[in-house]
Amino acid sequence: MEKKDKDQLKSPMDRRDFLRTCSAFVAGGVAVASGGLLAAKASAKEGEVFWQIDPYKCTQCGRCETDCVLTVSAVKCFHANKVCGYCDLCGGYYRPNVKELNTAAENMMCPTGAITREFVEEPYFEYTIDEDLCTGCGKCVKGCTSFGNGSLFLQIDQEKCQQCNECAIARVCPSDAIQRVSNAHAYKLKDHA
Amino acid sequence: MRKTLTILIGIIYSFQAFAVARFPKPDFTSGYQYPNIVHSAPYELFWNILDVVLLVGMMGLVVWAAYRKRSRTIILSMSLVSVLYFGFFRSGCVCSVGSIQNVVTAAVSSDYHLPWYVLLVFLLPIVFALLFGRVFCSGVCPLGALQELVNVRNFRLSRAVSATLTMIPWVYLAFTILYAATRSQFLICRLDPFIGIFRLGGDLGVMSFGIVLLVMSLFIGRPFCQFLCPYGALLSVFSALSWKKLEMTDKGCINCALCSVSCPVDAIRPPQDSKTNEERKKGVKRIILFALLLPVFTLAGSVLVGSQSDALSLAHKDVYLYEMLLRQEAQPELEEPLEVETFHALGGDMEELKAKVDGIRSDYSFYAYLVGALIGFVIGFKLLKLSLKRGRKTYEIDMARCTLCGKCFNYCPQNQSTRYTISNRKTIKNEKTIS
Amino acid sequence: MRKLYRNIAIVTTVFMLALTVMLGVSYYQMQQVSPLETGVMETLKSLNETNGENESLQQQIRELDLLSRKAYFVKEGQLKVGIYLLLGMALVLVVCLNLYYRETKNLPEKEFDPIDEWMAKSRARKYLGWAAAVVALLVIGFVGVQQLDVKGLLARFSEEGALAEVQDEGENSEMSSEGLAEKVDTLGTDSVKGEAADSAEVDDMPELKIASRAFRGNNASATSAARGIATSWNLSAKKNILWQSSIPKHGYNSPVITGRNVFITGADAKARELYCYDVWTGELKWTVKADGIAGSPSSMPKVNADTGLAASTVATNGEEVCAIFATGDVICADMEGKRLWAKNIGQPDNHYGYSSSLLMYGNTLIIQYQNNSNAQILALNTKNGNTAWSKRGNDKISWSSPIIATLGGKTALVVMGNPAIAAYNIGNGSELWRVECMSGEVGSSPTCAGGVVFGASEYAKCVAIDGATGEVLWEASDYLPECSSLAATKDLVFCATSYGMVCAYDAKTGEVKKEHDLTTPFYSSPVVVDGKVYLFSNSGKVYIFSASTFDLITSFDTGEKTFATPAFTDGMMIVRTDKSLYCVKK
Repeated sequence: MEKKDKDQLKSPMDRRDFLRTCSAFVAGGVAVASGGLLAAKASAKEGEVFWQIDPYKCTQCGRCETDCVLTVSAVKCFHANKVCGYCDLCGGYYRPNVKELNTAAENMMCPTGAITREFVEEPYFEYTIDEDLCTGCGKCVKGCTSFGNGSLFLQIDQEKCQQCNECAIARVCPSDAIQRVSNAHAYKLKDHA
Repeated sequence: MRKTLTILIGIIYSFQAFAVARFPKPDFTSGYQYPNIVHSAPYELFWNILDVVLLVGMMGLVVWAAYRKRSRTIILSMSLVSVLYFGFFRSGCVCSVGSIQNVVTAAVSSDYHLPWYVLLVFLLPIVFALLFGRVFCSGVCPLGALQELVNVRNFRLSRAVSATLTMIPWVYLAFTILYAATRSQFLICRLDPFIGIFRLGGDLGVMSFGIVLLVMSLFIGRPFCQFLCPYGALLSVFSALSWKKLEMTDKGCINCALCSVSCPVDAIRPPQDSKTNEERKKGVKRIILFALLLPVFTLAGSVLVGSQSDALSLAHKDVYLYEMLLRQEAQPELEEPLEVETFHALGGDMEELKAKVDGIRSDYSFYAYLVGALIGFVIGFKLLKLSLKRGRKTYEIDMARCTLCGKCFNYCPQNQSTRYTISNRKTIKNEKTIS
Repeated sequence: MRKLYRNIAIVTTVFMLALTVMLGVSYYQMQQVSPLETGVMETLKSLNETNGENESLQQQIRELDLLSRKAYFVKEGQLKVGIYLLLGMALVLVVCLNLYYRETKNLPEKEFDPIDEWMAKSRARKYLGWAAAVVALLVIGFVGVQQLDVKGLLARFSEEGALAEVQDEGENSEMSSEGLAEKVDTLGTDSVKGEAADSAEVDDMPELKIASRAFRGNNASATSAARGIATSWNLSAKKNILWQSSIPKHGYNSPVITGRNVFITGADAKARELYCYDVWTGELKWTVKADGIAGSPSSMPKVNADTGLAASTVATNGEEVCAIFATGDVICADMEGKRLWAKNIGQPDNHYGYSSSLLMYGNTLIIQYQNNSNAQILALNTKNGNTAWSKRGNDKISWSSPIIATLGGKTALVVMGNPAIAAYNIGNGSELWRVECMSGEVGSSPTCAGGVVFGASEYAKCVAIDGATGEVLWEASDYLPECSSLAATKDLVFCATSYGMVCAYDAKTGEVKKEHDLTTPFYSSPVVVDGKVYLFSNSGKVYIFSASTFDLITSFDTGEKTFATPAFTDGMMIVRTDKSLYCVKK
């Protein structure tokens, strides 16, 4: 009798505890099982975790400049010297319909003056990008790909890139040129084989 | 710091087949050498390992501080470390909250790569929640830590209102899953209110929202964690079932109610008589009614959200492009959006796109029904839970809500006396001011 | 002490508010408008491009550029400082507030009033229920609105359908009453009429009502609505010859006529030029040079002597005229000879030389740019040269020219190349159908009559394709053209070969209805005019056939080698020969 009373007193707590323990085991089981399944997936491939632009897909729409989460975009113009024609009349350096080939403001393509050039020998000029000034607008790239060898191209500077979980530029890129890449292919360079 | 490692571009490489090569490679006669341009490499695995180690270490510390030491100071210093390291230094990516999306995407699509550390970042807080409650929220999550550090005072919302508002994270979670499963977008990353603050720049609208939330958290405990965070909602399920339960003191509750007033997230439940002035029969009837209504709610949610799958699918880039193309075809006089222009310029095939869009739409209709059911079920379940009566004798911590901030430890007079016996006289003064 | 903290907190808050607003505005500017590319700047720069040397304008640009550059970088620096300042102030504020509340912190705010949990729960249930109901109703309402919209859309669609039907009927009746040739030409004619009415030119000679706006006539259709063309002329005796003019630079392209203007191009190693002649006098009105174009190669590409540097015929829409050269230079000029824009679309990798002719449809310039590398069809906006669309396929190099045809009641672009004849939506380049039936080097161009597309190449076969469905109606390989293109009426398809055979296929069956062995090669294409077919041999002999029976009506020698296809307008024919341009008029 006494025992029964005790049981009755205890029973609601026991039931609750029992339910709780059961659910805890179910929850734990679910967590472990899904974790295990996903872990099998996680180890299956080489890690493609960095964002990079495929220069052959890029259309230089200009969104790289405006849509990066950084105030000054992590996208920069790169230059493949081995592809460059070293032309005097450079489509990336001068505005179209340029009248005189000098560095006057009305003739220059780059809005921030990030492209500089140096005379090599007649008639060749070497072009260099100052990445600190570059805003990734892609104007020079457009000029170079439409009128030149396409040696200028846009790339994400991996040092500046914040490695967002979802790249804000990739989300608006009209040609889907931004994809995840592995560490070994952190850059898609044009003078690379 | 990431500069430490750099990669070198080789000198002898052949031309890429794609290069346009309108102008021949110059023949330099002056012995000109091509310059070696060095691009900085992305940061190495080292940082990911450090992230995970710190995550585990800090959660361990919080557990120790909360369960053993009952010290808010340690938890607060953890918060500071978290905001500085995970927030400002690592600029917030990848965080456990956002990792939900990676995990969901990896679970539904075979070609998506889920890095091991993202999986750990997702799973570890859940494991800890199952053992000790929402340890992660306490002082490890940079979003929660930031609000915790800023908080100075608590003006609490009415309990009924906050109970209703806790449905928002579930809806948010449901839509996050929908968009991640259909590979449309990472909603959490887009709407993360504090990432802009950590990065000192970002989308202006989202950043202003973050600032508003921070100003709110001066006077309301953790508004984001309580009423928005989808990962918090997920963790609350596990922490409600946690193995260990946090207690304010070892010495037994004296029902002084100080802890309950101190709690910023309203997680401390007062003693309650299981009897109410309502008839028992009525209560039982209500429980049965809500239990029966649960599948109805689930179904209704499923149908309501599922019926919107076409509209929702516009969040996917390709579907949106397709709709824009259709609109452009119907009204060619409109100015062409950039997407449409690029689509044509790249010689995109409408039929191919249509097939793709149809695939996405069918995905959407499946997942929309699924997450709709989730929303309906959560609402139904919440209603059911709200109609359960439960009595308790003393103040108890509701582990589902508790974020282990440790405020209540300092408030509990039982703890004060412990300190009094152990350490200095300063606490005596404190105690006097209280009493 | 508390007061001090409070005051510090208040002051910090005020400063923070002000700073936040300032930073927000500045940040917005940095994000939204690139300060270096303000509207003013761009306008000034484009002004400079269109104007000649204008020192003061350039000076203005330079000053503004310097100013905006300074402003940009100063602003960038300020923003950084501002953000750190804001963070610091936030820190001060939080610390002050904490200190301010430290004393009161540990005290309960009010007398404890234990919350009646059941009450709260009941209320929460109510709230939650209401919230769920409101959201559900909102969604249902949204669905309702959408449904309404759908109804509206349906109504609109049915209206449009009815309209389209009416239009179809109108077109059908037109088709039956007048010949196909007329129908194709109405497009060009109408707009020229409008121009004539607009411009009150007080010249004794009127503008011509019938245009020939591309290679082989409007829409490159190889038919003309012109009437009263002479069937005999003599260059040396000046019989039926209105004028004859010399051409400054050589080229194989054919003349194009719109309004009072006749356009041709010519090129040599030194220059590439577009010429405009007066249709009534033969006077060379103006010349536009294709020079100073960014990306234009400095040395001329290697071309075959049979192709030359100016093989492509120009195209016009009555407002602009565009020309392309073997260098890949495209230029566009208005009717007064002012160059509107020019661009190099990439030097063609072409072992004979680029020869495909241009085509215009409204404001769209079509370029069949199929070379060894990068074969594509380009559509440019004639107003500014921007790419409207481009279409890359697996096509190989070809020398064929595009045409515009009415297929199944819709206007479409038809392009023949290796390996396919394909039809595209002219507005966006989407493919309507594609028939892979060609092979080898395709130099001939397709034609269309009665909704059927005909194409033939010496190294493949002659194919007739139903324009509406893309279904092949018949194939033949009796006689096949190499450089010359097909011309067609509803009943017959005319073909001239490089080895001297000319024939007419039955347009319905592909059976050879009539053939003539003329023993002289043909590069020029036949054109159907006023019930006759005009055809020039390379040696300069003219053959005129009946378009209904393909009987030879007359033939005579003009004495000048002719490779181009003549252009026809009211009672006149403009012929380009090896060395001159002449106009035949009764």
